[in-house]
Amino acid sequence: MDWNAFLDGFAVVTEPTNLLYCLIGVLIGMLIGVLPGLGPAATMAILLPIAYNAGDPVSAIIMLAGIYYGAQYGGTITSVLLRIPGEASSVVTVFDGFALAKQGKAGTALGVAAIGSFFGATVSIIGLTLLGPIVASYALDFGPPEYAALALLGVLLVATVGNGHTVKALVAAAVGLLLATVGSDTFTSANRFTFDSLELQGGIDFVVVAMGLFGVGEILYNLEERHGKIHVPAAIANIWPSRKDLKQASPAIGRGSVIGFFLGVLPGGGAVMASLAAYAAEKRVAKDPSRFGRGAIEGVAGPESANNAAATSSFIPLLTIGIPANASMAMLFAALLVVGVTPGPQLIDENPELFWGVINSMYIGNLILLVLSIPLVGIFVKILRVRPAILAPITALITILGVYTIRNSVFDIFLMIGFGILGYLMKKTGFEPGPLVLAFVLGSLMESSFRRSMLLFDGDATGFVTRPISGTILAFLLLVLLLPLLKRLLRRRVTETTTPDHHDHDDHDERAELR
Amino acid sequence: MRNSTTTCLAALAGVASLALTACGGVSNTAGGGSDSGEYPQGAVEMPVGASAGGSSDLISRQISEGLSDELGGSFPVINREGANGALAAAEVAKAEADGSTISVQNASLFAITPLAVAEDEVTSIDDFEVVQGVSRDDYVLVASKGSGFTSIDDFAKAKDKITYGTTGVGTGAQLACALTYNVNDTDAEAIPFDGGAPALTALLGDQVDTACLQVGEAIENIEAGKIVPLSVFGPERVEFLPDVPTAQEQGLDVEVSQYRFMTVPKGTPQDVQDAIAEAMQATFEKEEYQAFNKQNNLTPLEISGDEVLAMLEEDKQRYADLVEEYGIDLGDAS
Repeated sequence: MDWNAFLDGFAVVTEPTNLLYCLIGVLIGMLIGVLPGLGPAATMAILLPIAYNAGDPVSAIIMLAGIYYGAQYGGTITSVLLRIPGEASSVVTVFDGFALAKQGKAGTALGVAAIGSFFGATVSIIGLTLLGPIVASYALDFGPPEYAALALLGVLLVATVGNGHTVKALVAAAVGLLLATVGSDTFTSANRFTFDSLELQGGIDFVVVAMGLFGVGEILYNLEERHGKIHVPAAIANIWPSRKDLKQASPAIGRGSVIGFFLGVLPGGGAVMASLAAYAAEKRVAKDPSRFGRGAIEGVAGPESANNAAATSSFIPLLTIGIPANASMAMLFAALLVVGVTPGPQLIDENPELFWGVINSMYIGNLILLVLSIPLVGIFVKILRVRPAILAPITALITILGVYTIRNSVFDIFLMIGFGILGYLMKKTGFEPGPLVLAFVLGSLMESSFRRSMLLFDGDATGFVTRPISGTILAFLLLVLLLPLLKRLLRRRVTETTTPDHHDHDDHDERAELR
Repeated sequence: MRNSTTTCLAALAGVASLALTACGGVSNTAGGGSDSGEYPQGAVEMPVGASAGGSSDLISRQISEGLSDELGGSFPVINREGANGALAAAEVAKAEADGSTISVQNASLFAITPLAVAEDEVTSIDDFEVVQGVSRDDYVLVASKGSGFTSIDDFAKAKDKITYGTTGVGTGAQLACALTYNVNDTDAEAIPFDGGAPALTALLGDQVDTACLQVGEAIENIEAGKIVPLSVFGPERVEFLPDVPTAQEQGLDVEVSQYRFMTVPKGTPQDVQDAIAEAMQATFEKEEYQAFNKQNNLTPLEISGDEVLAMLEEDKQRYADLVEEYGIDLGDAS
């Protein structure tokens, strides 16, 4: 690594204009992050002309990058406070984040999320600085079979999310997979479940499903719940997480950051998989997994660190091999073209000033975001004091606006309302929307990767096992599936051979029933 | 208490209004300074059938800026991705024929997509007036380093079936590749990806042997020596890849290119069409626009609307004939 170029990069960032652009970028990012729907990609598209007119191209790119990672901070706020995840990667934050908010601990959740986000992003930038090109080449080893295996693992992990029944979670996940098939098939262009509607040909957007099931579903449910009851504002005891909370959350932040960094490098489903894997990991290592879904702080800390780390490491494929990993990276790609730079393997040698300027601006941008978040947490948690009669229409407005901005489509608004009714019915019957939404996101990845693999293998499915990476993932998947069964078997044998008293037998019966 | 409520309400309202202004198409500049008669009256929407950041989107934005400079008023670009651009096309076709909705559209939607989709989903050029040609975007056949291919002739030496990544079903990239392998009589399997970036990723990682991509998507990795260009598909060599022969030069009768042109709904008054065409031609003269073309590896195709129409008809027929001759089914990569 060229340390001189790296340090020169800091000189670039600390120029007052660049600092100002960085500040503007992260501020805009944070604001649009709060509003689901109008994502960072769309905002960057609108602000792209700035790249034409900025005196220094580096400033413009720094600002646009700031919008992207700033949005990651903002997205948490609506997930925690209003139960509307703006992005697939913040769906898992909703479970424990919203539960914490209901207990009056929104400040704790947001505070920990901000710290986790900062830590995750910083770990990831250091990783990007030191390991960028190496990690990029490992991402290239992920072909369709590896993605198929990874998505399968993801769908399995989905069942562990939340705290509902496993069977109900699996049912919801199956519905999600089914919904993922709606639209024009990308392999044959045959229409599936489109009912001759041109609007459905492009498939259903994630935001439509997520905001309907979570946001609108929650509003409808609350209308019924609170009807006739007097609104008691949730007591907001602590604005800032206590020392105990931080202590509890810090291992989760560490694990989430590392998971996020590595999975985030994978274009496509990287960030979703990262947050999901981080949540599953926390639940697995926790002493008492039943706390999850009811307001476990690790359930916010892990995934939030992971999705920010993933957001940052998604810069790696763009900056080192010229591949945009997601829509926002595609916009950044476009912006770089506008300023006369084609991102690719030669970027670091041809434009070291830009390469290091942008990367190093992220160290500073994240610091700004952390500092900004602290006072904002205090302001945002006050939203919970607003009476539902006022808050519900505003939430509805936000979701409708958000959904409209994705494709400028009124059809999507009605579709979202439809999902809202479904979400309400699910909540009434004890189904969690989380597994449905996550399976929906992973579904198309799984299906298309599987079909692509089968084309590559010429119909011979053994390739999944013989390729090293996909084989390892599948072995791990098997382990995750079998581990609980093995544990149970082992425990039963131990208890039966030692002291089989009545109490233990009761215990077994209970467990058997649960199964 | 009361106070804090208002604060956050204001904050929410602020965010909401940001979204409103940002999503475009809402701002009204009726009667805004126009120097070519009455057009435009108010904002002119420019739906584009692709997501933000792709070449279709960037070209639309570039034209939008040019029109706005020349004619006054605002020309917001609205992304209506989906169904290969058919969604945006349907919106334009249905719009009022007064120039308030215009769109830069892709030739592939009219000439290639019909080969892959059911008859009732075909978008017909008859629903539009073609105002002005814009530019051409060439395809290139590239091979991965691991495949060892350095020219099309090497295909004969391949032991196994060759795999080729495409940027999706019904795209020019798919057609170009499918034709090449069929005309060359090579046993090959198409692997469709969702766009150019995933196809390029797979090629770089040696997951597929070859791929057909747009020049702009592949050029940086070609120049870095990470992938090997085998052929381009235009009528002549591409300015940006002067050493890469065309398919015709290599004895294969395959010519496929993507080009874009300005369309308005059928029946739009001639003076409005003329105003748009003139403003576009003035934009083409600008240095900034020419630099944009270069940067994005686009070859100008600044021909008149009638010429575009003739070209479209000819291409459509030629593709259909070729596909029939070789028994290619674009919608059959199951």
